[in-house]
Amino acid sequence: MAPLGYVEILDAKGNVTERVRIDSFPVQVGRAYGNHVVVNDPYVCPVHLAIESDESGRLFARDLESVNGLRRGVDGDRVSVLELHSGAPFRIGRTLLRFCSVDHTLAPTLIDRQTQASWLASSYAAPIAGLIILLLLCLDSFLGSVERVTVAKVVSEPLMTLSMLLGWAGLWALASRIVVSRFHFAEHVAIACAAIFGFLVLSTLSEWLEFFFPVIPALWMAGFLGSGVILAGLVYGHLSRASAMRRRSRLWAALLVSGAAIGLSLIIDFANRSKFSNVMEYTGIVKPIDAAWLPSTSVNQFMENTEKLKKELDLLAQKARATQP
Amino acid sequence: MKRNVAIAVLLFWFSTGALPSRLWAQAIKATPEIFKQFSEHVVKIEVVESGSAAKASIGTGFFASARGDIVTNYHVVSKLIHSADRYRIEVTDPSGQSSPAKVLGVDVVYDLAVLRTDRHPKGFLTLETKPIEQGTRLYSLGHPRDLGLTIVEGTYNGLLRHTLYPKVLFTGSLNPGMSGGPTLTHAGTVIGVNVATEGEQISFLVPAERALALLEKTARVENRPGNGFLAEVGQQIQANQARYLSGMFSSKTPSISFGPYTLPTKPADFFRCWADAVRRKELPYVAVTHDCSTDDYIFVSSEQSSGIVRFYHQLLSTAELYPSQFFNLYSAQVQAGNTAVFGNEEEVTPFRCQTRNVQTQTGKVKAVLCARQYVKLPGLYDAVFRVATLGATNVGLVSTLNLSGVSFENIEALSRRYMESIKWRR
Repeated sequence: MAPLGYVEILDAKGNVTERVRIDSFPVQVGRAYGNHVVVNDPYVCPVHLAIESDESGRLFARDLESVNGLRRGVDGDRVSVLELHSGAPFRIGRTLLRFCSVDHTLAPTLIDRQTQASWLASSYAAPIAGLIILLLLCLDSFLGSVERVTVAKVVSEPLMTLSMLLGWAGLWALASRIVVSRFHFAEHVAIACAAIFGFLVLSTLSEWLEFFFPVIPALWMAGFLGSGVILAGLVYGHLSRASAMRRRSRLWAALLVSGAAIGLSLIIDFANRSKFSNVMEYTGIVKPIDAAWLPSTSVNQFMENTEKLKKELDLLAQKARATQP
Repeated sequence: MKRNVAIAVLLFWFSTGALPSRLWAQAIKATPEIFKQFSEHVVKIEVVESGSAAKASIGTGFFASARGDIVTNYHVVSKLIHSADRYRIEVTDPSGQSSPAKVLGVDVVYDLAVLRTDRHPKGFLTLETKPIEQGTRLYSLGHPRDLGLTIVEGTYNGLLRHTLYPKVLFTGSLNPGMSGGPTLTHAGTVIGVNVATEGEQISFLVPAERALALLEKTARVENRPGNGFLAEVGQQIQANQARYLSGMFSSKTPSISFGPYTLPTKPADFFRCWADAVRRKELPYVAVTHDCSTDDYIFVSSEQSSGIVRFYHQLLSTAELYPSQFFNLYSAQVQAGNTAVFGNEEEVTPFRCQTRNVQTQTGKVKAVLCARQYVKLPGLYDAVFRVATLGATNVGLVSTLNLSGVSFENIEALSRRYMESIKWRR
């Protein structure tokens, strides 16, 4: 015989934890083992509720004079009788229930994004990403050195970075194993490599930008916003492998983490700036480039601009004089 | 004949050897008398913190008029000038009697101050403006490190050459605490006021005529509010700038060749320039520096000086490094030294900087101007102007001009002339 429907027991988030097939009415719900639907909740009476159908086929839940009663929806009023519609939740004790008829409409099937991003899972992705990062870091270390270099000197620091990256990916893999029962180590490595690549590109770009246009605090902005975006991407990527969270929740988690990081560093930056210091804040970045390519101002313009500097200093001095005895 | 020659030789020996030793003996004999005769005009000056009633600094001074005017150094009483409500001055004469004193006038440029007490002195020392001979024996009086009134012998060695502000070179041992004390001839006339020492018997005096000028200026002053001097200090520094800054780095300033660069050097006699190079086998680059600075400075407060002009050129070149590597080194050099040694929140604002790529007559440079303002002396600023040449791949020049305690107009004018005086061949 085909079932008439199912009584579903839900958790706090609305996910189904248990499903009981219903072949006939009335159905008795309670803590006692004699019920059709047995609910493991100390706030539910041994015989708490009956689900009955009338002549026209409408379904009703009837409170069987229980201690804590029957409530409409998640947090609704206490009622003694409630008409049930397929999929609408109701509560007894601290347990959410719903009845779904066999013809209950379902949400459309979700597209599995994980199979779309399958290049990450490919067995080549992680080694190739690791190799690229190692080479880039070596190049960076070589071009960054101002002394005569040896291979060991050039390679040691990038190798250190790479091993830290592997450790980081290992931690995420462990989390993945615990939460989704799979390690996904290679994918975590590839995601971390992508983040380091992002940082390298960002720092190079912002240095050139700062050199070309000293008026734009490119390094400062890259330090906060750019790093924030990369951090968000990193968290989002790792969570996609280490949790069963939905896309939107992952995005929120990523934004939250990076927002907190940006906020914290902005607060520290602000605190440092408002503290008195004898440091001259400027960036000394210069790059080897044909001077013809470089946008520049005239000596006169430079000198005219100093008026702004003077005004700023006058304001600072005024403020300092006002606060001193 | 032989006997006559022998007598003549003996006389000559007596006249050359015995005579100076007799004078020497007189000089030694004179010192206790000089001390006895003139020490009663010398006083100890203490700047006392009003809250704790403990002394914050000590120095020496001397009575220079019948009215009871006391000459000392500005730096002895500078704490009071900067915070009149927190400090007071106490003057103690050799008999041990203390009395309060007030400031009548200051000359911050020459580091002098005139004070007055209510007590009338038994006498005073006269100031001598006539030149005396180099080598003349002098006697300096003061309270070195608060150890009691002391007399120090030394020699007059004339006015220093190549200094911005005339100073007497006194080869005798002055020590902290003797500042503001008199340096006298055996007749008791004051030649100069003790002001500074560079150790090993190298000491400096403010010439007596500067003290006389300040005494004349303050002769008619009866009473001055304690907090009025800060503005005057600012005005004196402002007025003094024209003396040494006008025309500096103009086209008349001498230049040196430094690789492909032509750079300014020794803009005036009162600058001293030094050069050095770092050429080591293990380094794949060469760094050459040329550093010029004024020796003189004006003491404003323990954390502030004015009137220092320093500029230095650093030439970096390499035959080995890749352009990208060389420019890391070059960037670090442009960034280096971006922290001022002195300065606190009470006296200066934080720095603010302006950075631009600038087209000069001969090419493009990265120019950075950082400045801060003096909080208590409005209109005076410290500035660091730095220029780094651009365009080459294996050579670069970082040139820096440091100015302290100057007006913003002078910062602008000097930075402009400095930037324009840096030229190079491409």
